[in-house]
Amino acid sequence: MARSGTDRSGEGAPRVRTPGEAERRGGFRRDLIANLWVIAALIAGMQFWSMVAPPYIMPPPATSLETTGTVLQEDWRHILYTITRLVVSVGFALVVGSLIGALMAMIRPIQPYLMSIVVIDTGIPALSWMLFSVFWFKDPETRVFFILAMILIPFYALNVYDGIRALSRDLVEMVETFRPTRIEVFRHLILPHVVPYILMTTKSIIGYATRMTAFAELVSVNTGMGARMGLAQNNLAMDGVIAWTILLVFLNLAVQGLVSLAEKSLLRWRPEVEVR
Amino acid sequence: MTAAGGAAMIVLDRVDKRFGDHYAVRDLSFAVAKGEIVAIVGRTGAGKSTALHMIMGVMPPSAGTVRVEGLDPYADFKALKGKLSVSFQTDRLLPWRTAWENVALGLQIMGRDAPTRRAEAIRWLENVKITGAENVAKYPHQLSGGMRQRVSLARALAVDPELVLLDESFSQLDHVTSKALRSDFTELVRRVKKTCVLITHRIDDALEMADRVIVLAAPARLALEVRVRPEDRADPAWLRDRHRRIAEAMGGEEAPAEEVADGLRH
Ligand SMILES: Nc1ncnc2c1ncn2[C@@H]1O[C@H](COP(=O)(O)OP(=O)(O)OP(=O)(O)O)[C@@H](O)[C@H]1O
Ligand SMILES: [Mg+2]
Repeated sequence: MARSGTDRSGEGAPRVRTPGEAERRGGFRRDLIANLWVIAALIAGMQFWSMVAPPYIMPPPATSLETTGTVLQEDWRHILYTITRLVVSVGFALVVGSLIGALMAMIRPIQPYLMSIVVIDTGIPALSWMLFSVFWFKDPETRVFFILAMILIPFYALNVYDGIRALSRDLVEMVETFRPTRIEVFRHLILPHVVPYILMTTKSIIGYATRMTAFAELVSVNTGMGARMGLAQNNLAMDGVIAWTILLVFLNLAVQGLVSLAEKSLLRWRPEVEVR
Repeated sequence: MTAAGGAAMIVLDRVDKRFGDHYAVRDLSFAVAKGEIVAIVGRTGAGKSTALHMIMGVMPPSAGTVRVEGLDPYADFKALKGKLSVSFQTDRLLPWRTAWENVALGLQIMGRDAPTRRAEAIRWLENVKITGAENVAKYPHQLSGGMRQRVSLARALAVDPELVLLDESFSQLDHVTSKALRSDFTELVRRVKKTCVLITHRIDDALEMADRVIVLAAPARLALEVRVRPEDRADPAWLRDRHRRIAEAMGGEEAPAEEVADGLRH
Protein backbone atom coordinates (compact mmCIF):
# COMPACT_ATOMS: atom_id res chain seq x y z
CA MET A 1 0.00 0.00 0.00
CA ALA A 2 1.50 3.28 -1.04
CA ARG A 3 0.13 5.59 1.63
CA SER A 4 2.94 8.02 1.58
CA GLY A 5 4.33 10.84 3.63
CA THR A 6 3.63 11.42 7.29
CA ASP A 7 2.20 14.82 7.85
CA ARG A 8 3.80 15.97 11.07
CA SER A 9 3.03 19.63 10.52
CA GLY A 10 -0.67 18.80 10.62
CA GLU A 11 -1.16 21.19 7.75
CA GLY A 12 -2.26 18.75 5.07
CA ALA A 13 -2.10 20.30 1.62
CA PRO A 14 1.28 20.97 0.02
CA ARG A 15 3.53 18.14 0.99
CA VAL A 16 7.25 18.05 1.05
CA ARG A 17 8.62 14.66 0.27
CA THR A 18 10.12 13.26 3.43
CA PRO A 19 13.24 11.08 3.41
CA GLY A 20 11.04 8.16 4.42
CA GLU A 21 8.92 8.64 1.36
CA ALA A 22 11.91 8.84 -0.95
CA GLU A 23 13.17 5.64 0.59
CA ARG A 24 9.85 3.97 -0.04
CA ARG A 25 9.90 5.07 -3.69
CA GLY A 26 13.35 3.59 -3.97
CA GLY A 27 11.89 0.52 -2.29
CA PHE A 28 9.24 0.32 -4.99
CA ARG A 29 11.89 0.28 -7.72
CA ARG A 30 13.84 -2.34 -5.83
CA ASP A 31 10.70 -4.51 -5.49
CA LEU A 32 9.99 -4.14 -9.20
CA ILE A 33 13.50 -5.24 -10.09
CA ALA A 34 13.22 -8.23 -7.75
CA ASN A 35 9.86 -9.16 -9.30
CA LEU A 36 11.31 -8.99 -12.81
CA TRP A 37 14.22 -11.21 -11.81
CA VAL A 38 11.89 -13.80 -10.27
CA ILE A 39 9.65 -13.81 -13.36
CA ALA A 40 12.69 -14.16 -15.63
CA ALA A 41 13.96 -17.05 -13.51
CA LEU A 42 10.54 -18.75 -13.66
CA ILE A 43 10.43 -18.43 -17.45
CA ALA A 44 13.98 -19.74 -17.74
CA GLY A 45 13.08 -22.68 -15.49
CA MET A 46 9.99 -23.46 -17.56
CA GLN A 47 12.01 -23.22 -20.73
CA PHE A 48 14.61 -25.65 -19.41
CA TRP A 49 11.94 -28.03 -18.08
CA SER A 50 10.02 -27.96 -21.38
CA MET A 51 13.14 -29.15 -23.19
CA VAL A 52 13.31 -32.35 -21.11
CA ALA A 53 9.58 -32.99 -20.48
CA PRO A 54 6.66 -33.77 -22.83
CA PRO A 55 4.33 -30.80 -23.62
CA TYR A 56 1.48 -32.15 -21.45
CA ILE A 57 3.83 -31.81 -18.46
CA MET A 58 5.48 -28.51 -19.39
CA PRO A 59 5.05 -26.73 -22.72
CA PRO A 60 7.64 -24.13 -23.74
CA PRO A 61 6.83 -20.67 -22.24
CA ALA A 62 6.49 -19.22 -25.75
CA THR A 63 3.65 -21.66 -26.49
CA SER A 64 1.87 -20.81 -23.20
CA LEU A 65 2.20 -17.11 -23.97
CA GLU A 66 0.82 -17.65 -27.46
CA THR A 67 -2.11 -19.59 -25.99
CA THR A 68 -2.71 -16.74 -23.54
CA GLY A 69 -3.05 -14.40 -26.53
CA THR A 70 -5.43 -16.78 -28.31
CA VAL A 71 -7.52 -17.24 -25.17
CA LEU A 72 -7.75 -13.47 -24.70
CA GLN A 73 -9.03 -13.12 -28.27
CA GLU A 74 -11.40 -16.08 -28.37
CA ASP A 75 -12.45 -16.74 -24.79
CA TRP A 76 -12.64 -13.21 -23.34
CA ARG A 77 -16.31 -13.74 -22.59
CA HIS A 78 -15.32 -16.25 -19.92
CA ILE A 79 -13.19 -13.63 -18.21
CA LEU A 80 -16.23 -11.34 -18.11
CA TYR A 81 -18.36 -14.15 -16.61
CA THR A 82 -15.84 -14.63 -13.85
CA ILE A 83 -15.54 -10.91 -13.13
CA THR A 84 -19.32 -10.52 -13.03
CA ARG A 85 -19.74 -13.45 -10.66
CA LEU A 86 -16.96 -12.12 -8.45
CA VAL A 87 -18.39 -8.60 -8.29
CA VAL A 88 -21.98 -9.71 -7.71
CA SER A 89 -21.13 -12.19 -4.97
CA VAL A 90 -18.63 -9.95 -3.18
CA GLY A 91 -21.13 -7.09 -3.36
CA PHE A 92 -23.88 -9.30 -1.96
CA ALA A 93 -21.67 -10.67 0.82
CA LEU A 94 -20.57 -7.13 1.65
CA VAL A 95 -24.12 -5.86 2.06
CA VAL A 96 -25.58 -8.90 3.81
CA GLY A 97 -22.50 -9.61 5.95
CA SER A 98 -22.28 -5.98 7.08
CA LEU A 99 -25.98 -5.96 7.94
CA ILE A 100 -25.58 -9.12 9.99
CA GLY A 101 -22.59 -7.55 11.76
CA ALA A 102 -24.59 -4.38 12.44
CA LEU A 103 -27.54 -6.36 13.79
CA MET A 104 -25.23 -8.34 16.04
CA ALA A 105 -23.72 -5.17 17.46
CA MET A 106 -26.92 -3.18 17.77
CA ILE A 107 -29.54 -5.66 18.96
CA ARG A 108 -28.37 -7.30 22.17
CA PRO A 109 -30.83 -10.24 22.41
CA ILE A 110 -30.06 -11.68 18.98
CA GLN A 111 -26.30 -11.19 19.24
CA PRO A 112 -25.40 -14.66 20.66
CA TYR A 113 -27.56 -16.49 18.09
CA LEU A 114 -26.22 -14.62 15.07
CA MET A 115 -22.68 -14.90 16.43
CA SER A 116 -23.08 -18.64 16.80
CA ILE A 117 -24.34 -19.00 13.22
CA VAL A 118 -21.46 -16.92 11.90
CA VAL A 119 -18.85 -18.83 13.89
CA ILE A 120 -20.20 -22.19 12.73
CA ASP A 121 -20.19 -20.88 9.16
CA THR A 122 -16.52 -19.88 9.42
CA GLY A 123 -15.76 -23.43 10.53
CA ILE A 124 -17.36 -25.05 7.46
CA PRO A 125 -14.72 -25.65 4.76
CA ALA A 126 -15.20 -24.01 1.36
CA LEU A 127 -15.12 -27.50 -0.13
CA SER A 128 -18.27 -28.49 1.82
CA TRP A 129 -20.16 -25.49 0.47
CA MET A 130 -19.09 -26.44 -3.04
CA LEU A 131 -20.42 -29.95 -2.66
CA PHE A 132 -23.60 -28.80 -0.89
CA SER A 133 -24.36 -26.34 -3.65
CA VAL A 134 -24.00 -28.99 -6.33
CA PHE A 135 -26.53 -31.16 -4.48
CA TRP A 136 -28.93 -28.35 -3.60
CA PHE A 137 -29.08 -26.18 -6.70
CA LYS A 138 -29.67 -26.98 -10.34
CA ASP A 139 -29.00 -23.53 -11.71
CA PRO A 140 -25.23 -23.15 -12.20
CA GLU A 141 -25.21 -19.40 -11.46
CA THR A 142 -26.99 -19.98 -8.17
CA ARG A 143 -24.40 -22.57 -7.27
CA VAL A 144 -21.41 -20.23 -7.73
CA PHE A 145 -23.24 -17.37 -6.06
CA PHE A 146 -24.24 -19.50 -3.08
CA ILE A 147 -20.73 -20.87 -2.55
CA LEU A 148 -19.11 -17.44 -2.58
CA ALA A 149 -21.78 -15.83 -0.41
CA MET A 150 -21.50 -18.52 2.25
CA ILE A 151 -17.71 -18.27 2.29
CA LEU A 152 -17.51 -14.47 2.35
CA ILE A 153 -20.43 -13.32 4.53
CA PRO A 154 -18.82 -14.22 7.89
CA PHE A 155 -15.74 -12.10 7.17
CA TYR A 156 -17.89 -9.00 6.74
CA ALA A 157 -20.18 -9.87 9.63
CA LEU A 158 -17.34 -10.35 12.11
CA ASN A 159 -15.33 -7.31 11.07
CA VAL A 160 -18.31 -4.96 11.00
CA TYR A 161 -19.39 -6.31 14.39
CA ASP A 162 -15.95 -5.61 15.84
CA GLY A 163 -15.91 -2.23 14.14
CA ILE A 164 -19.17 -1.09 15.68
CA ARG A 165 -18.09 -2.32 19.09
CA ALA A 166 -14.92 -0.25 18.74
CA LEU A 167 -17.03 2.88 18.24
CA SER A 168 -16.15 5.37 20.94
CA ARG A 169 -18.81 5.91 23.66
CA ASP A 170 -17.83 9.57 23.61
CA LEU A 171 -18.84 10.02 19.98
CA VAL A 172 -22.13 8.22 20.55
CA GLU A 173 -22.88 10.48 23.50
CA MET A 174 -21.91 13.57 21.50
CA VAL A 175 -24.24 12.67 18.63
CA GLU A 176 -27.05 11.79 21.06
CA THR A 177 -26.99 15.25 22.63
CA PHE A 178 -28.49 16.49 19.34
CA ARG A 179 -31.40 14.11 19.89
CA PRO A 180 -31.25 12.23 16.59
CA THR A 181 -33.45 9.32 15.50
CA ARG A 182 -31.94 5.83 15.38
CA ILE A 183 -31.72 6.10 11.61
CA GLU A 184 -29.79 9.36 11.90
CA VAL A 185 -27.36 7.80 14.36
CA PHE A 186 -26.85 4.99 11.88
CA ARG A 187 -26.38 7.34 8.93
CA HIS A 188 -24.17 9.99 10.52
CA LEU A 189 -22.16 7.88 12.93
CA ILE A 190 -22.25 4.12 12.49
CA LEU A 191 -22.15 3.89 8.71
CA PRO A 192 -19.18 6.23 8.14
CA HIS A 193 -17.43 4.60 11.08
CA VAL A 194 -17.66 1.09 9.58
CA VAL A 195 -16.59 2.06 6.04
CA PRO A 196 -12.89 1.50 6.87
CA TYR A 197 -13.72 -1.91 8.34
CA ILE A 198 -15.67 -2.89 5.23
CA LEU A 199 -12.83 -1.73 2.98
CA MET A 200 -10.23 -3.54 5.06
CA THR A 201 -12.29 -6.73 4.85
CA THR A 202 -12.71 -6.39 1.10
CA LYS A 203 -9.00 -5.82 0.72
CA SER A 204 -8.11 -8.90 2.68
CA ILE A 205 -10.64 -11.25 1.05
CA ILE A 206 -10.63 -10.09 -2.56
CA GLY A 207 -7.67 -12.26 -3.61
CA TYR A 208 -9.14 -15.27 -1.86
CA ALA A 209 -12.54 -14.52 -3.41
CA THR A 210 -11.04 -14.40 -6.90
CA ARG A 211 -9.42 -17.81 -6.44
CA MET A 212 -12.60 -19.21 -4.91
CA THR A 213 -14.66 -17.95 -7.85
CA ALA A 214 -12.44 -19.89 -10.25
CA PHE A 215 -12.64 -22.93 -7.98
CA ALA A 216 -16.43 -22.73 -7.71
CA GLU A 217 -16.65 -22.46 -11.51
CA LEU A 218 -14.48 -25.55 -11.86
CA VAL A 219 -16.83 -27.66 -9.76
CA SER A 220 -20.23 -26.28 -10.67
CA VAL A 221 -20.51 -24.58 -14.07
CA ASN A 222 -19.11 -24.80 -17.58
CA THR A 223 -18.44 -21.14 -18.20
CA GLY A 224 -15.88 -18.78 -16.67
CA MET A 225 -12.15 -18.94 -16.15
CA GLY A 226 -12.23 -21.82 -13.66
CA ALA A 227 -14.40 -23.96 -15.95
CA ARG A 228 -12.19 -23.24 -18.97
CA MET A 229 -9.16 -24.15 -16.95
CA GLY A 230 -10.80 -27.46 -16.07
CA LEU A 231 -11.58 -28.06 -19.73
CA ALA A 232 -7.95 -27.43 -20.70
CA GLN A 233 -6.86 -29.89 -18.04
CA ASN A 234 -9.27 -32.54 -19.38
CA ASN A 235 -7.79 -32.06 -22.84
CA LEU A 236 -4.28 -32.43 -21.40
CA ALA A 237 -3.65 -28.90 -22.72
CA MET A 238 -1.08 -27.76 -20.23
CA ASP A 239 -0.45 -24.57 -22.21
CA GLY A 240 -4.14 -23.70 -21.72
CA VAL A 241 -3.92 -24.32 -17.96
CA ILE A 242 -0.89 -22.06 -17.76
CA ALA A 243 -2.56 -19.39 -19.91
CA TRP A 244 -5.61 -19.25 -17.62
CA THR A 245 -3.35 -19.23 -14.60
CA ILE A 246 -1.49 -16.19 -15.97
CA LEU A 247 -4.82 -14.45 -16.62
CA LEU A 248 -6.06 -15.25 -13.12
CA VAL A 249 -2.90 -13.78 -11.62
CA PHE A 250 -3.48 -10.58 -13.60
CA LEU A 251 -7.17 -10.46 -12.66
CA ASN A 252 -6.17 -10.85 -9.03
CA LEU A 253 -3.69 -7.97 -9.23
CA ALA A 254 -6.24 -5.80 -11.04
CA VAL A 255 -9.00 -6.26 -8.44
CA GLN A 256 -6.53 -5.68 -5.59
CA GLY A 257 -5.48 -2.45 -7.29
CA LEU A 258 -9.10 -1.36 -7.69
CA VAL A 259 -9.86 -1.98 -4.02
CA SER A 260 -6.77 0.02 -3.04
CA LEU A 261 -7.96 2.89 -5.23
CA ALA A 262 -11.40 2.78 -3.64
CA GLU A 263 -9.76 2.80 -0.22
CA LYS A 264 -7.66 5.83 -1.10
CA SER A 265 -10.59 7.88 -2.25
CA LEU A 266 -13.01 6.81 0.50
CA LEU A 267 -10.53 7.21 3.35
CA ARG A 268 -9.13 10.62 2.36
CA TRP A 269 -10.02 11.85 5.83
CA ARG A 270 -7.65 9.49 7.56
CA PRO A 271 -4.38 10.74 8.97
CA GLU A 272 -1.47 8.98 7.37
CA VAL A 273 0.20 7.08 10.12
CA GLU A 274 3.70 5.79 10.02
CA VAL A 275 4.83 3.35 12.66
CA ARG A 276 8.53 2.99 13.19
CA MET B 1 -33.50 28.17 45.36
CA THR B 2 -32.01 31.18 43.62
CA ALA B 3 -33.20 31.65 40.08
CA ALA B 4 -31.79 35.14 39.85
CA GLY B 5 -34.38 37.27 38.08
CA GLY B 6 -36.50 36.04 35.18
CA ALA B 7 -37.67 32.50 34.42
CA ALA B 8 -35.57 29.47 35.29
CA MET B 9 -33.89 27.58 32.47
CA ILE B 10 -32.70 24.73 34.68
CA VAL B 11 -34.09 23.57 37.98
CA LEU B 12 -32.62 20.72 40.01
CA ASP B 13 -34.70 19.82 43.03
CA ARG B 14 -33.26 17.48 45.68
CA VAL B 15 -31.56 15.34 43.08
CA ASP B 16 -29.75 12.11 43.98
CA LYS B 17 -27.78 9.94 41.61
CA ARG B 18 -26.61 6.58 42.84
CA PHE B 19 -24.35 4.10 41.08
CA GLY B 20 -24.94 0.95 43.08
CA ASP B 21 -24.41 1.99 46.70
CA HIS B 22 -22.29 4.95 45.75
CA TYR B 23 -23.82 8.42 45.67
CA ALA B 24 -22.31 10.48 42.87
CA VAL B 25 -24.82 13.29 43.48
CA ARG B 26 -26.68 13.76 46.77
CA ASP B 27 -29.54 16.09 47.58
CA LEU B 28 -28.50 18.66 45.00
CA SER B 29 -30.75 21.65 44.36
CA PHE B 30 -30.01 24.70 42.29
CA ALA B 31 -31.54 26.75 39.53
CA VAL B 32 -30.12 28.60 36.56
CA ALA B 33 -31.94 31.60 35.13
CA LYS B 34 -32.31 32.31 31.41
CA GLY B 35 -29.32 34.17 30.06
CA GLU B 36 -27.16 33.35 33.05
CA ILE B 37 -23.65 31.94 32.87
CA VAL B 38 -23.08 29.56 35.76
CA ALA B 39 -19.85 27.79 36.56
CA ILE B 40 -19.83 24.56 38.52
CA VAL B 41 -16.58 23.85 40.31
CA GLY B 42 -15.58 20.90 42.41
CA ARG B 43 -12.74 18.48 42.83
CA THR B 44 -12.36 15.44 40.67
CA GLY B 45 -15.06 12.86 41.38
CA ALA B 46 -17.31 15.45 43.02
CA GLY B 47 -20.11 14.52 40.61
CA LYS B 48 -19.98 17.52 38.26
CA SER B 49 -20.20 15.50 35.05
CA THR B 50 -22.92 13.32 36.53
CA ALA B 51 -25.00 16.42 37.29
CA LEU B 52 -24.43 17.63 33.74
CA HIS B 53 -25.39 14.25 32.27
CA MET B 54 -28.73 14.49 34.06
CA ILE B 55 -29.28 18.00 32.67
CA MET B 56 -28.41 16.69 29.18
CA GLY B 57 -30.99 13.97 29.70
CA VAL B 58 -28.68 11.05 28.93
CA MET B 59 -29.31 9.59 32.40
CA PRO B 60 -32.23 9.88 34.84
CA PRO B 61 -31.79 10.95 38.48
CA SER B 62 -32.25 8.24 41.16
CA ALA B 63 -34.40 10.64 43.16
CA GLY B 64 -35.59 14.23 42.85
CA THR B 65 -36.45 16.14 39.69
CA VAL B 66 -34.49 17.76 36.89
CA ARG B 67 -36.19 20.30 34.66
CA VAL B 68 -34.91 22.11 31.58
CA GLU B 69 -37.34 24.72 30.25
CA GLY B 70 -39.94 22.99 32.40
CA LEU B 71 -39.38 19.65 30.68
CA ASP B 72 -37.87 16.45 32.03
CA PRO B 73 -34.74 16.13 29.84
CA TYR B 74 -34.62 12.34 30.20
CA ALA B 75 -38.31 11.46 29.82
CA ASP B 76 -39.01 14.18 27.24
CA PHE B 77 -35.74 13.53 25.46
CA LYS B 78 -36.94 14.44 21.96
CA ALA B 79 -38.83 17.52 23.11
CA LEU B 80 -35.57 19.30 23.85
CA LYS B 81 -34.22 18.77 20.34
CA GLY B 82 -32.35 21.89 19.26
CA LYS B 83 -32.78 23.53 22.67
CA LEU B 84 -29.56 22.43 24.30
CA SER B 85 -26.13 21.45 23.15
CA VAL B 86 -22.91 20.31 24.74
CA SER B 87 -19.18 20.74 24.31
CA PHE B 88 -16.90 18.32 26.10
CA GLN B 89 -13.40 18.13 27.50
CA THR B 90 -12.17 16.55 24.30
CA ASP B 91 -13.36 17.85 20.95
CA ARG B 92 -15.27 14.67 19.95
CA LEU B 93 -15.18 15.66 16.29
CA LEU B 94 -16.16 13.08 13.70
CA PRO B 95 -12.85 12.29 11.97
CA TRP B 96 -14.46 11.71 8.57
CA ARG B 97 -16.05 15.16 8.48
CA THR B 98 -14.27 18.40 7.70
CA ALA B 99 -14.41 21.30 10.16
CA TRP B 100 -17.52 22.84 8.63
CA GLU B 101 -19.22 19.47 8.18
CA ASN B 102 -18.67 18.77 11.86
CA VAL B 103 -20.23 22.10 12.77
CA ALA B 104 -23.15 21.27 10.47
CA LEU B 105 -23.92 17.96 12.23
CA GLY B 106 -26.50 19.38 14.62
CA LEU B 107 -28.13 21.41 11.86
CA GLN B 108 -28.34 18.29 9.73
CA ILE B 109 -30.11 16.43 12.54
CA MET B 110 -32.41 19.45 12.88
CA GLY B 111 -33.34 18.92 9.25
CA ARG B 112 -31.89 22.13 7.75
CA ASP B 113 -31.23 22.05 4.01
CA ALA B 114 -27.69 21.72 2.68
CA PRO B 115 -26.99 25.35 1.63
CA THR B 116 -28.26 26.68 4.98
CA ARG B 117 -26.14 24.16 6.87
CA ARG B 118 -23.03 25.18 5.05
CA ALA B 119 -23.62 28.91 5.40
CA GLU B 120 -24.48 28.61 9.10
CA ALA B 121 -21.51 26.34 9.81
CA ILE B 122 -19.10 28.74 8.14
CA ARG B 123 -20.61 31.70 9.98
CA TRP B 124 -20.17 29.96 13.34
CA LEU B 125 -16.63 28.97 12.50
CA GLU B 126 -15.97 32.65 11.82
CA ASN B 127 -17.42 33.44 15.23
CA VAL B 128 -14.83 31.20 16.86
CA LYS B 129 -12.15 32.69 14.60
CA ILE B 130 -11.67 29.89 12.11
CA THR B 131 -11.78 31.51 8.72
CA GLY B 132 -10.68 30.90 5.17
CA ALA B 133 -11.92 28.33 2.68
CA GLU B 134 -8.87 26.20 3.31
CA ASN B 135 -9.26 26.00 7.09
CA VAL B 136 -12.97 25.27 7.16
CA ALA B 137 -12.40 22.36 4.77
CA LYS B 138 -9.71 20.71 6.88
CA TYR B 139 -10.23 17.36 8.53
CA PRO B 140 -9.87 17.20 12.34
CA HIS B 141 -6.43 15.57 12.16
CA GLN B 142 -5.19 18.52 10.14
CA LEU B 143 -6.20 21.01 12.85
CA SER B 144 -4.37 21.91 16.06
CA GLY B 145 -5.89 20.99 19.43
CA GLY B 146 -7.01 24.57 20.02
CA MET B 147 -8.64 24.79 16.61
CA ARG B 148 -10.41 21.48 17.13
CA GLN B 149 -11.83 22.72 20.41
CA ARG B 150 -13.01 25.88 18.64
CA VAL B 151 -14.76 23.73 16.03
CA SER B 152 -16.44 21.76 18.79
CA LEU B 153 -17.69 24.99 20.42
CA ALA B 154 -18.98 26.18 17.04
CA ARG B 155 -20.79 22.87 16.65
CA ALA B 156 -22.50 23.37 20.00
CA LEU B 157 -23.53 26.94 19.21
CA ALA B 158 -24.55 26.41 15.58
CA VAL B 159 -27.89 24.79 16.42
CA ASP B 160 -28.73 28.08 18.13
CA PRO B 161 -29.63 26.38 21.42
CA GLU B 162 -31.19 28.09 24.41
CA LEU B 163 -28.75 26.31 26.69
CA VAL B 164 -25.07 25.52 26.19
CA LEU B 165 -23.37 23.02 28.49
CA LEU B 166 -19.59 22.83 28.71
CA ASP B 167 -17.77 20.04 30.53
CA GLU B 168 -14.14 21.11 31.02
CA SER B 169 -14.03 22.35 27.44
CA PHE B 170 -10.95 24.49 28.01
CA SER B 171 -8.93 22.35 30.36
CA GLN B 172 -6.88 20.41 27.83
CA LEU B 173 -5.55 23.49 26.13
CA ASP B 174 -2.38 25.37 26.98
CA HIS B 175 -2.77 28.49 29.08
CA VAL B 176 -2.62 31.08 26.30
CA THR B 177 -4.96 29.23 23.95
CA SER B 178 -7.37 28.46 26.76
CA LYS B 179 -7.49 32.09 27.91
CA ALA B 180 -8.11 33.42 24.41
CA LEU B 181 -10.80 30.84 23.75
CA ARG B 182 -12.47 31.44 27.12
CA SER B 183 -12.79 35.16 26.62
CA ASP B 184 -13.95 34.72 23.00
CA PHE B 185 -16.52 32.23 24.21
CA THR B 186 -17.96 34.27 27.08
CA GLU B 187 -18.10 37.35 24.89
CA LEU B 188 -19.99 35.34 22.26
CA VAL B 189 -22.41 33.73 24.71
CA ARG B 190 -23.22 37.11 26.28
CA ARG B 191 -23.73 38.66 22.86
CA VAL B 192 -26.16 35.98 21.66
CA LYS B 193 -27.82 35.88 25.12
CA LYS B 194 -27.58 32.15 25.73
CA THR B 195 -27.80 30.37 29.02
CA CYS B 196 -24.61 28.52 29.81
CA VAL B 197 -23.54 26.01 32.43
CA LEU B 198 -19.86 25.28 32.42
CA ILE B 199 -17.92 22.81 34.48
CA THR B 200 -14.37 23.53 35.45
CA HIS B 201 -12.04 22.59 38.23
CA ARG B 202 -10.08 25.86 37.93
CA ILE B 203 -11.43 28.44 40.34
CA ASP B 204 -9.84 31.32 38.41
CA ASP B 205 -11.58 30.31 35.20
CA ALA B 206 -14.90 30.09 36.99
CA LEU B 207 -14.57 33.56 38.55
CA GLU B 208 -13.44 35.00 35.24
CA MET B 209 -16.27 33.63 33.11
CA ALA B 210 -19.38 33.17 35.20
CA ASP B 211 -22.11 35.34 36.70
CA ARG B 212 -22.40 32.80 39.47
CA VAL B 213 -20.15 30.02 40.75
CA ILE B 214 -21.64 26.90 42.29
CA VAL B 215 -19.25 24.86 44.39
CA LEU B 216 -19.87 21.15 44.78
CA ALA B 217 -18.30 18.96 47.43
CA ALA B 218 -18.35 15.19 46.95
CA PRO B 219 -20.85 13.60 46.61
CA ALA B 220 -22.19 16.52 44.63
CA ARG B 221 -24.09 18.67 47.02
CA LEU B 222 -24.05 22.42 47.08
CA ALA B 223 -21.24 23.63 49.31
CA LEU B 224 -21.12 27.30 48.36
CA GLU B 225 -22.54 29.77 45.89
CA VAL B 226 -20.71 32.92 44.81
CA ARG B 227 -22.28 35.68 42.74
CA VAL B 228 -19.83 37.58 40.53
CA ARG B 229 -20.58 41.12 39.39
CA PRO B 230 -18.55 42.54 36.46
CA GLU B 231 -16.85 45.07 38.77
CA ASP B 232 -15.77 42.26 41.14
CA ARG B 233 -13.54 40.82 38.46
CA ALA B 234 -11.41 43.97 38.56
CA ASP B 235 -10.95 43.78 42.32
CA PRO B 236 -7.91 41.64 43.22
CA ALA B 237 -8.71 41.56 46.93
CA TRP B 238 -12.26 40.35 46.28
CA LEU B 239 -10.99 37.70 43.86
CA ARG B 240 -8.37 36.46 46.34
CA ASP B 241 -10.92 36.20 49.08
CA ARG B 242 -13.50 34.31 46.98
CA HIS B 243 -10.80 32.09 45.57
CA ARG B 244 -9.80 31.07 49.10
CA ARG B 245 -13.38 30.48 50.19
CA ILE B 246 -14.18 28.40 47.10
CA ALA B 247 -11.05 26.32 47.61
CA GLU B 248 -12.08 25.67 51.20
CA ALA B 249 -15.61 24.70 50.21
CA MET B 250 -14.32 22.37 47.51
CA GLY B 251 -11.91 20.36 49.52
CA GLY B 252 -11.76 21.10 53.23
CA GLU B 253 -8.36 21.74 54.78
CA GLU B 254 -5.83 20.69 52.11
CA ALA B 255 -5.46 22.82 49.00
CA PRO B 256 -6.96 21.14 45.93
CA ALA B 257 -4.31 19.55 43.77
CA GLU B 258 -5.16 21.41 40.59
CA GLU B 259 -4.77 24.78 42.34
CA VAL B 260 -1.24 23.87 43.33
CA ALA B 261 -0.51 22.81 39.78
CA ASP B 262 -2.00 26.05 38.52
CA GLY B 263 0.17 28.03 40.88
CA LEU B 264 3.28 26.34 39.58
CA ARG B 265 2.34 26.97 36.00
CA HIS B 266 1.95 30.75 36.36
N1 LIG C 1 -21.51 5.55 34.88
C1 LIG C 1 -21.00 5.48 36.12
N2 LIG C 1 -21.01 4.30 36.80
C2 LIG C 1 -20.52 4.22 38.05
N3 LIG C 1 -19.98 5.24 38.71
C3 LIG C 1 -19.93 6.43 38.11
C4 LIG C 1 -20.43 6.62 36.79
N4 LIG C 1 -20.24 7.90 36.43
C5 LIG C 1 -19.64 8.49 37.49
N5 LIG C 1 -19.45 7.62 38.49
C6 LIG C 1 -18.88 7.93 39.81
O1 LIG C 1 -19.52 9.06 40.31
C7 LIG C 1 -18.61 9.95 40.92
C8 LIG C 1 -18.69 11.31 40.28
O2 LIG C 1 -18.22 11.23 38.94
P1 LIG C 1 -18.22 12.45 37.95
O3 LIG C 1 -17.72 11.97 36.64
O4 LIG C 1 -19.54 13.10 37.97
O5 LIG C 1 -17.14 13.40 38.65
P2 LIG C 1 -16.59 14.80 38.15
O6 LIG C 1 -16.90 15.78 39.21
O7 LIG C 1 -17.05 15.09 36.79
O8 LIG C 1 -15.02 14.53 38.17
P3 LIG C 1 -13.89 15.04 37.12
O9 LIG C 1 -13.53 16.42 37.54
O10 LIG C 1 -12.78 14.08 37.34
O11 LIG C 1 -14.47 14.96 35.74
C9 LIG C 1 -17.25 9.30 40.80
O12 LIG C 1 -16.95 8.66 42.02
C10 LIG C 1 -17.41 8.30 39.70
O13 LIG C 1 -16.58 7.19 39.92
MG1 LIG D 1 -16.15 15.22 34.83
